[in-house]
Amino acid sequence: MRHLAMILLTIREAVLRGTLLFYFAVGNIIILFMAYALDVSPDDPSMITFLSNPLLPKNIGNTNPVDFVLIQLQRSSASSILLFGVFAVAGLIPSMLEKGTVELYLSKPLSRTALLLSRASGATAGVALNLIYFAIGIWLVFGIKLAIWHSGFLFSFLFVCIAFLFYFSIVTFVGIVTRSAGFSIMFAFLYTFFSSALESRTKILYQIWNNDIYHTTLDVLYYCTPQLSAMLENSSRIIGKMPFPPDQLSQTFDILPFVYSLLSSAAIYALASFQFAKQDF
Amino acid sequence: MSIVETSNISKTYRSGLFKRSVVHALTGVSLSVRQGEIFGLLGPNGAGKTTFVKILLSIVHPTGGEATVAGEKLGDLSIRERSGYLPENHRYPAFLTGLQTLIFFGSLTGMKGKALTDRADRLLELVGLKDWKKVKIKRYSKGMLQRLGLAQALLNDPDLLFLDEPTDGVDPVGRKEIRDLLTSLRSQGKTIFLNSHLLSEVEMISDRVAILNKGKVLKIGTIAELTSKQIEYELLLDRSLGDSVIEKLRPHLRSLNVDGKKLVIASESKVGLNTTLDILRSEGILIESMTQKRTTLEDSFIDLIQREATA
Repeated sequence: MRHLAMILLTIREAVLRGTLLFYFAVGNIIILFMAYALDVSPDDPSMITFLSNPLLPKNIGNTNPVDFVLIQLQRSSASSILLFGVFAVAGLIPSMLEKGTVELYLSKPLSRTALLLSRASGATAGVALNLIYFAIGIWLVFGIKLAIWHSGFLFSFLFVCIAFLFYFSIVTFVGIVTRSAGFSIMFAFLYTFFSSALESRTKILYQIWNNDIYHTTLDVLYYCTPQLSAMLENSSRIIGKMPFPPDQLSQTFDILPFVYSLLSSAAIYALASFQFAKQDF
Repeated sequence: MSIVETSNISKTYRSGLFKRSVVHALTGVSLSVRQGEIFGLLGPNGAGKTTFVKILLSIVHPTGGEATVAGEKLGDLSIRERSGYLPENHRYPAFLTGLQTLIFFGSLTGMKGKALTDRADRLLELVGLKDWKKVKIKRYSKGMLQRLGLAQALLNDPDLLFLDEPTDGVDPVGRKEIRDLLTSLRSQGKTIFLNSHLLSEVEMISDRVAILNKGKVLKIGTIAELTSKQIEYELLLDRSLGDSVIEKLRPHLRSLNVDGKKLVIASESKVGLNTTLDILRSEGILIESMTQKRTTLEDSFIDLIQREATA
């Protein structure tokens, strides 16, 4: 009950942030636009139209055209939620630590670890609510208008939410150490690029310096931090296969990035919690 | 029976490059607070009052020393279950109403359902915010926020209440109401730990006080103990005193100041005062008026702080 109260307050605080309201508004516009634009051809019930034009009547390679559209929607919404979501909720950890606020929370019979994890869960839940709302909206549009009830699409968003929770461990740790919303946001964005770079380390970063220690360091960093890019990539693979890039070795869903990220983010949350427990306010 | 017992509590803050800058916020603070009393902790700004309370609630970790609160060692969550805290400059989520704020903080203490809503309603009425309970707190004045803070601290019906400047920003009528509330809580057996720099208020309601300066306890005692030795009498005489009379009076008094026909004396006991009167009469000096000048807690406080500064 105590944890739930903190989670609910944080969700409320998160969804009231202007950036998430903007994301919510944009999501609604996209849902309404898709509802308006998508239809079944009156001449051929097997034909899907987009603004009255046939929608990719033939498969692109081995990709179903509906999967293709849904993957694009999922990827764009997942990427944008990282942008808007982090911007909106990164400040929630430092705001909890503000003078006059933290004393109130710490004077209640709730451990610091529980307080921190409730706050992080609430922040993630605030973002997840937006994501899930958008996912259900699009899912209903495809189901009601086209009779395509794509469960993989819905399921993929669950993994995006999990990815965000893991990703948020970085924001939480930086928020606890620096107590600065600006620093947390900046670091989160830097980490997004860093994560992408680490994902393709064998192709790009390894080439910069041919040194075993350097390569090992990159590998350690990759496995010791949430694998954001890999998680997002794999979450979209639940929907279907993409026709490109053609050299992609595997297009099947891989749970390992989530497992590694679970372990690394658990360690980062534990570190943040340890740091929080040591601090004076 | 003590509800708070501290022994040599110290807190040192280190900052700067390699943590070389050191500030001793508290040095060997030992005191005990008895159950059912209002205990005032006084001190100038930066004396360490807030740090001390925060240590008792494990918001700040002590560098040294030991303490028990409600029979439990520092850090035990049950301390927070049995206590309420009103911090200085507290901030609440501005998008909540007064009632929602209390329900939220009540939930954090483990309360729920109708019992929580009823308790929140009762407390809002008690602190005079009944008509404001559905108004978002961003519209509350400083005094109203202070009242809400007090209600928040009372949510779990605590045995021990820590209040840091509870009347800050509250108007005189509100201050009187808060004092009455605290007195009423004491009569219910609650212990109140009061941090304040408003000495007159502390003097009015506290059973015992401790004076803290630069992290050290200078004195602990009842208000009477802290001020009793400071009772002074101002006598207006019919003529100025000669040196010989003054020399006769001096051994019987703690202090003696002569200003023309005005004589200000301080004595450790009533015997000293009466001996003074006897000597004056025996010298044929008439006393036109005599008034007792009871030194306030503020006078004692300032005296103590100044003595500490010159020591």
